[in-house]
Amino acid sequence: MLTLKRLTAILLGLGLVIAFVPENTTKPYRLSAADMLTEVQFGTEMISPDELADWLINKDPSIQLIDVRTPKDYNQFHLDGALNIPLSKILDNEWVDYVDQGIKMNIFYSNGTTLSHEAWMLTRQLGYENNYVLQGGLNFWTETILNPSAPSPYSADDEIAKYEFRKGASQYFGGGGVKSSVTKSKSKASKPKIKRKKKKKAPQGGC
Amino acid sequence: MGPLIPQEIIAEGWNFFIAFVVGIGFGFVLEQAGFSSSRKLAGVFYGYDTVVLKVFFTATITGMLGLLYFSLFDWIDLNLVWVNPTFLWSAIIGGIIMGAGFIIGGYCPGTSVCALSIGKIDAMIFFGGIFVGIFLFGETYAIIKPLYMAEYLGNIKLSDVLGISQGALAFFVILAALAMFYVAEIAEKKFPREEY
Repeated sequence: MLTLKRLTAILLGLGLVIAFVPENTTKPYRLSAADMLTEVQFGTEMISPDELADWLINKDPSIQLIDVRTPKDYNQFHLDGALNIPLSKILDNEWVDYVDQGIKMNIFYSNGTTLSHEAWMLTRQLGYENNYVLQGGLNFWTETILNPSAPSPYSADDEIAKYEFRKGASQYFGGGGVKSSVTKSKSKASKPKIKRKKKKKAPQGGC
Repeated sequence: MGPLIPQEIIAEGWNFFIAFVVGIGFGFVLEQAGFSSSRKLAGVFYGYDTVVLKVFFTATITGMLGLLYFSLFDWIDLNLVWVNPTFLWSAIIGGIIMGAGFIIGGYCPGTSVCALSIGKIDAMIFFGGIFVGIFLFGETYAIIKPLYMAEYLGNIKLSDVLGISQGALAFFVILAALAMFYVAEIAEKKFPREEY
């Protein structure tokens, strides 16, 4: 009888607590504001123009550029192979297979970084992975890759090496007055066949 | 962080290994608690031994409170935990058949395997009966199917049906269980048996 009384006390205590605490509705797959802040502070979502240029020149098949500007801007100028998903349509069902997938590395870009960062924030909040932002956007891309400015002769060695790389990249992408044949072959962005990650079902159980 | 397998923290293949270990543990505990005796199990219905009721309800409540507290501390996402789908008529009729079998045979399916393993002959017959039942069910499935599939309610939870929070429901379940424990204590005093 004593055991039963103890059991009663423990169970009633635990039961009362659980009855009155609010239910935990946080979804672990959604990032909290604090997690987002950490990611933003460390800049994990940023891709530098030099990294991107290197991948594009090496024709890395795993990257997918996504232009989040309006179709009008996109038609005026866009990076080769970029898809146009205007920011206003980023949550549309039509594009969900592109922004929520586990295969390609999506790189959002816009003229500056405002639109692309907004796109990244939205998708990251939904727990989508593999989305990144082009640092500085197209403006910085033009400044650094298409028209690189020479560093002073007293710069550190790696600054000069970076410049040499950018000079080469500039020729590749046809910037700085050097016309290259590569940019003329404007291939239409091919729609990648992306298999969506299978949503895991909870395992079944039984007696 | 949990549940571990749907979140892919551990691989799906571990399912079987974990089930194996848990299964051995479950069988061992059943045997240690004396559940391989059909008289002990039938005792619940006659009131002289209510250990089975107490053990299973304590296990239910422990599991229930554990999950709710884990969810509270963000250790498990209850939305990813499997909830058995409810077919109302199957549940009611199946429950009656299971209960009747429990009284007549003195075992539930789990404890029958447990008793079979230690060589009880009645358990072997009971176990054979399970397979006869499965065979009959399979053969008559076409006739039973409309009833079997009737009143499909989906993966519902009692708290959703009653419109109260899971915590509040848990509290009422605890109250009900405790009430049953006290009634069981009284029953054991009222219908004592020396040897069984």
